Amino acid sequence: MKVEKLVVRYGAVTAVRELSLEVGQGELVALLGPNGAGKSSTINALTGLVTPASGRIVLDGKDISHVRTEDRIRAGLTSTPEGRHIFSNLSVGENLRLGAATRRDPAGVRQDIERFLALFPVLSERYGQAAGTLSGGEQQMLAIARSLMSRPKLLLLDEPSLGLAPKIVARIFDFIGELKAQGLTLLVVEQNAKQALRFADRVYVVSSGTLRYDGPPAKLADEHGLFNLYLGG
Amino acid sequence: MAGSELSQAVDQMAAPTGATRSGNALVRSLIGGLVTALPVLVIGLLVLNFAPTYYTFLALGAFVNLIVVVGLQVFMGNSNIANLGHSAFVGLGAYGVAILSTPLAMKKLSIPNAPFGFATLELDPVSSAFIALFVVGVVALVSGKVISRLSGVAATIVSLALLIIVHSVFLNWTDLFKGNQAFFGIPKVVGLPWMLVFAVVAIVAARLFKDSRWGLQLRASAQSPQAAAALGIDAKKLRLMSWVLSALICGLAGVLYAYFAGTISPKLFYFQMIFNTLAMLILGGMATVTGAVTGVIVLSIGLEFIRSIESGVTIAGIQLPQLLGLSGVALGVVIVLCMAFRPSGISGRHELDELLSLLLRRNAK
Amino acid sequence: MDYALQQLLNALAFGAEYSLVALGLAVVFSIMGLVNFAHGEIIGVSAYSVFLAAALGLTSPFVAVLLAVVMAALAAVVFERVAFRPVRYAPTTTGLLTAFGVSIVVQNLFMLLISPKPQSVSILNGLNQMWFFGPFAVSSLQVMELIVSGLTILALVLFLNRSTLGLAIRAASRDFATVRLMGIKANRVIATAFAISGALAGIAAVFILARRGSVSPDLGFGLVLKAFVACVIGGFGSLPGAAVGGMLLGFIEVGLLVALPQEYAGFRDALTYAIIVALLVYRPEGLLGQRIELGDKEI
Repeated sequence: MKVEKLVVRYGAVTAVRELSLEVGQGELVALLGPNGAGKSSTINALTGLVTPASGRIVLDGKDISHVRTEDRIRAGLTSTPEGRHIFSNLSVGENLRLGAATRRDPAGVRQDIERFLALFPVLSERYGQAAGTLSGGEQQMLAIARSLMSRPKLLLLDEPSLGLAPKIVARIFDFIGELKAQGLTLLVVEQNAKQALRFADRVYVVSSGTLRYDGPPAKLADEHGLFNLYLGG
Repeated sequence: MAGSELSQAVDQMAAPTGATRSGNALVRSLIGGLVTALPVLVIGLLVLNFAPTYYTFLALGAFVNLIVVVGLQVFMGNSNIANLGHSAFVGLGAYGVAILSTPLAMKKLSIPNAPFGFATLELDPVSSAFIALFVVGVVALVSGKVISRLSGVAATIVSLALLIIVHSVFLNWTDLFKGNQAFFGIPKVVGLPWMLVFAVVAIVAARLFKDSRWGLQLRASAQSPQAAAALGIDAKKLRLMSWVLSALICGLAGVLYAYFAGTISPKLFYFQMIFNTLAMLILGGMATVTGAVTGVIVLSIGLEFIRSIESGVTIAGIQLPQLLGLSGVALGVVIVLCMAFRPSGISGRHELDELLSLLLRRNAK
Repeated sequence: MDYALQQLLNALAFGAEYSLVALGLAVVFSIMGLVNFAHGEIIGVSAYSVFLAAALGLTSPFVAVLLAVVMAALAAVVFERVAFRPVRYAPTTTGLLTAFGVSIVVQNLFMLLISPKPQSVSILNGLNQMWFFGPFAVSSLQVMELIVSGLTILALVLFLNRSTLGLAIRAASRDFATVRLMGIKANRVIATAFAISGALAGIAAVFILARRGSVSPDLGFGLVLKAFVACVIGGFGSLPGAAVGGMLLGFIEVGLLVALPQEYAGFRDALTYAIIVALLVYRPEGLLGQRIELGDKEI
């Protein structure tokens, strides 16, 4: 996926200024930055929930800038939104089924649900219960599993660590590492730089809607000033 | 989304603060109200001096609508909650003075069995008006207690319920309200000059409320309830306040209607009036008093034109049939189109005087 | 005993009708926040379609019922496409006033194109008979109303709990954006909700026609006002709330019918509304509504 000179505005406020980035096949790319840097606006522009003022978004060589959200999902791009946004009034199972709404292979869907339930036993225990009763970490697992139910080519993860205890965050990133190992392409947006850098192939750092760094994670750690300035050490 | 909402709220709050800086806010608001009322005054004086009787009669009806729409604006414009029950208050005002001030000879014909001694009571028009408005105020206070506690949608539905309750009482309490039949014989003591005076008073009152501390706080809480609550604004109290003021202005319109027409009936104060006045306010723009005035002027003229077609016109010697329902279709289309393409109405977010001063400043540069 | 049973059936039948209409309002409100005042005119379109079809020679009541339901669903979808889509993301008041405008337009179109006067429709009169069960005489219409409403609500519950689109409708009532992130087409979810809402109105229209035997421009308007009240008392936007509110309204009305002396019968509507408003004083959020605090996060 390639993003060229993306600009997002809310009224008079410009949230993202000419941001360009690229995510290659099978890569895990981290997009880091402090609160209010424009990370979520970027994700929302990528999924089409906000309409960018200008710029191009290219997926698999096709310009999808003017494609509707639902059709972008069908094209293989999926996002796990910030704050999880599980359907709290639906059961765990119903959440997973909705994740597979675009698929037409009931047998495959059932198989995938079984796979995730085996992977996250707690979801299996709570299968019939309202998803709103899950803990934050469990909800995050469910949200990621729900996104994966559509068998995406590219998964956007918006702040998977938000509001979770460090131990659970580590587990979630272990899982993200596994997904990468299985060949999934990922763009992870984070404030928690340390975790995000564990598996990242490349890193972008944004602040105030502008790109500040673009390169391998190792070099980011070298540029100590930048790291401290934007990511709080 | 949240960002733009907030900036709008700040925008709205900034405007009157600017006014405070440039001098006495009260005087400014008063002048603003008078400027807004100026077109009404001009039209009224023109009709008074030059128009034939038929048009004077039409103009009187339009002025009643104007006062109703201004009253409606006081609640809807500031609280941003749709009110679909305001014509109940117009009806209460009108029936109030009808019951109190109709001469005894007439009452013997229309409501000989009125309870509480009303059948033998005849008050002068002014005291009748005050008592009628007092009753309107009490009903508004009680209903407002309920409505101000509810969320927007539920409040709208309850305002409708109020309309149906009041209408049903008019229809069924025949001893007091004469039911479905026309209540006639009310003293015709209001002509165009008085109507004009009260229209101006209503416009200025609406404007003073809008610019007052309460109006400002109410508008702020309609835009962003959390932010307003965090500032210690009691939105319920303010909604109640604007509800009662709105009801009193609508009640006044009812009193004036009864005193100029001399005859009233329940169906005058039912959905037809709601449709008409709501369309006027929406077309003009409900955020401002100027919008209320603009909507009434434009739609009164437009509707009169449509009504003349509706009753069957002769074009080039061909008599067209009666087209009952045409004006209703037009009203509905006006509402739908306005909401889709210009939800802020003709006059948008600025009052007439604010627009004028903006223009003057631009020219000065 | 006979009388009490008769009144109970009365209340249940009235309540079932209100529930159907209130559910239609709630389905649409819950997913897109639209207070659909034009719902009554969906009933109107349905009823006038049957009237026109009968005038053109239709004689089969079965086809008339089918026509009523299909036309109502179609009308609901068309209203959404033409009038409500432009204000889909607008504030609640904008949508409410738009729907009010649509209601006025359609009511007056009936007046303009057909007639301001009630028109007689006799094709469905056969549904309204007296059935005798031993010593009891019951109205066939009321029994059917109860059974059909019960089955319809059961079908709705199954649809909302089993089908993907049903799940999407329930999910959309909380979080529309995330439903789109599942690759589900927003327009399809909304069109389905409107079609359901319309079909429910169509079923109600069949019963109204069978009972009244005539159509008039304001046929559905008064009924929908009552259904709104049912929604408010049940908790606006809650589907179980709408069904319960509708039933409650039926019982209040019939209760007043029984309790009020004949000379005060005219005050029945006024009293019904007054009782409901009084209930709201104690439960402003409705019977099954959730109390929403300003500080609550939207989840």
